[in-house]
Amino acid sequence: MSSDAAVPRLVERSWAGACGLGLRLVLALVLLAIFVQAAIVVHARPQDLITGARGMADIIRRAVPPDFGKIDMVWWPALETIDLAIFGTVGGVIMALPLAILAAVNVTPSRYLYYAARGVIGFARAVPDLVWALLFVTAVGLGPFPGALALSVHSIGMLGRLFAETIEHMDMAPIDALTLTGARRVQVFTHGIIPSILPSLLGIALYRFDENIRSSLVLGFVGAGGIGFELLSAMSLFQYNSFRFCSLSHSSW
Amino acid sequence: MLRVHGLTMRYPDGKLALADFDLTVAAGELVVVLGGNGSGKTTLLRCISRTLSPTAGEIWLNEANLGSLSGERLRQTRLPLAMIWQHASLVRRRSVASGALGRYDGLWTALGGLPAVERRAAYDHLSAVGLATLAGQRAATLSGGQAQRVAIARALAQQPQVLLADEPVASLDPEAADDIMRLVRHLATYERLAVLCVLHQVELAYAYADRVVGIRDGRIAFDRPRADLPRDAVRQLYLTAAA
Repeated sequence: MSSDAAVPRLVERSWAGACGLGLRLVLALVLLAIFVQAAIVVHARPQDLITGARGMADIIRRAVPPDFGKIDMVWWPALETIDLAIFGTVGGVIMALPLAILAAVNVTPSRYLYYAARGVIGFARAVPDLVWALLFVTAVGLGPFPGALALSVHSIGMLGRLFAETIEHMDMAPIDALTLTGARRVQVFTHGIIPSILPSLLGIALYRFDENIRSSLVLGFVGAGGIGFELLSAMSLFQYNSFRFCSLSHSSW
Repeated sequence: MLRVHGLTMRYPDGKLALADFDLTVAAGELVVVLGGNGSGKTTLLRCISRTLSPTAGEIWLNEANLGSLSGERLRQTRLPLAMIWQHASLVRRRSVASGALGRYDGLWTALGGLPAVERRAAYDHLSAVGLATLAGQRAATLSGGQAQRVAIARALAQQPQVLLADEPVASLDPEAADDIMRLVRHLATYERLAVLCVLHQVELAYAYADRVVGIRDGRIAFDRPRADLPRDAVRQLYLTAAA
C-alpha cells in the first residue's frame, strides 16, 4: 500500500547526515591530496624497486650462508637484546598499569588524576625511545641499563594508552556488583578489573614485547646495549655474512 | 528496614526519572515494583543502592541515611544491602566459588586461590542455592539460571538485611524464573530479608509479592497489597506506558 503522505525523518540528525554529499567528496579529495603530497615528499618511485632488484638480490646472495663462526661474539649481545626487551616490557607494564587505572574514565578516582595520568602517558609516547636512551645514557652511562630504562619509559606510552582503553571498554556490571558487595577499591581492582581484562592485557604486553625487541636493535646503535651495535659494525664493514647472522639471531626471537 | 523519602533523580540531560518517590519495605516483606520500560524502576534501585547519586531525597537503611554518605562511610553503611542484577554480573573468568564469595581479602584469593575458611563459606552459600557441585567451574560455563543463583549466593554471603533485585528473571525461561522467585520468596519469609524486586512478569508479582508498587513516569501509580490489586490497575499501568 502506498501513500502520498510525507515520509517522516527516520534517522536522527548526525554529523554524517549533516555533511552533504559534496562536503564528503571534498573530504575524500583532501585525504587523497594528503597521500599524494606524502608520496612526493618521500620521492616515491615504485619502478626503482624493479630496476634495483638485482642490487637487492646481490646483497642477499652475499649474506648467504650466515657466518656462524661469529657465534662466540654474538650470543652475548643477542641475549642482551632479549633481556633489554624483557626488562623494558615488564618495567613498562608495572608502571603503565596504575597509570592506566587513573587514566580510564570509568574507574579513575579523580578527574585531576585522570588528566595528569593521560598527560604522563602522552608524554612518554611522544618522546622517541632513542631520545629516552640518550637521556638515560647521560645519566647512568653506556651499556644495556639505559636502553632497558628507555624501553620501559617509552613502553608506558603505548601500554598505558591501550590498557586504559581496555579498562574503559570492559563490562562494568560485574564491577558494580562487586562494589556493592562492599569490596574496597583495591579488592575491586584485584578481584574484578584485573581478571576481567587479563587476556587483553597479556596480548597487549606480548605485542609490546615484540615491539621492544625491534626497538632494542636501534638502541644498540647509540651504545645502549644489545646486538644493534654488532649489526651496525657488520653493515659498515660490508660483512654481509656477519650481518645476516646477527639479524638471524635477532629475528629468531 | 528500608525507607525512601522524597527520592528524586534528574539525569544530566534533564530527564526526570524519579520524582518525589516515597517507599517503605519492612523486614520479611517482598515488594514487587511493576512499570513499563523507562518508567524509572531500575533508576529507583540504582539510587537506593547508591550506584547512582540521586538529585534529592533520603534513603534510610536501618538508622542511616545512605543519601548523605559517600566514600568509605557509604561502603561500611551499605554492607547490609545486597543487590542482584538482571544479568548475574559475575566475573566470567573466575570460579563459581569465587563468584559466590563476592568480597574477600588477600593476594592469594586475587590469584585464584581459596583458603579453607573462604572455601567453606563458598560451599555453604552455594549449597543454599543448590549449586555446591559446580563450585570449581568457571562462571562463564554456567547457564543463565545457574549464574543468577550464584549471584543470589553472593548476595547471601553479605548476610544482608535488605535485598534489591533488578529484573532477576528477565533472561530466564519460565521454569528457571519460577525457581529464582521461589528462592527470593524464601529469603523474605524465612531469612526475614526486606526484598524490593523489579519485575516485568505480572503473574510472578501476583504469585510471590506481599505488596505491589506500580511506577509510571518516575511517580508511584499505586502501592497495594497483592490481594487487593485489581488486574485493571496493572493493565492501565502498561497501557499508559505504551502510549
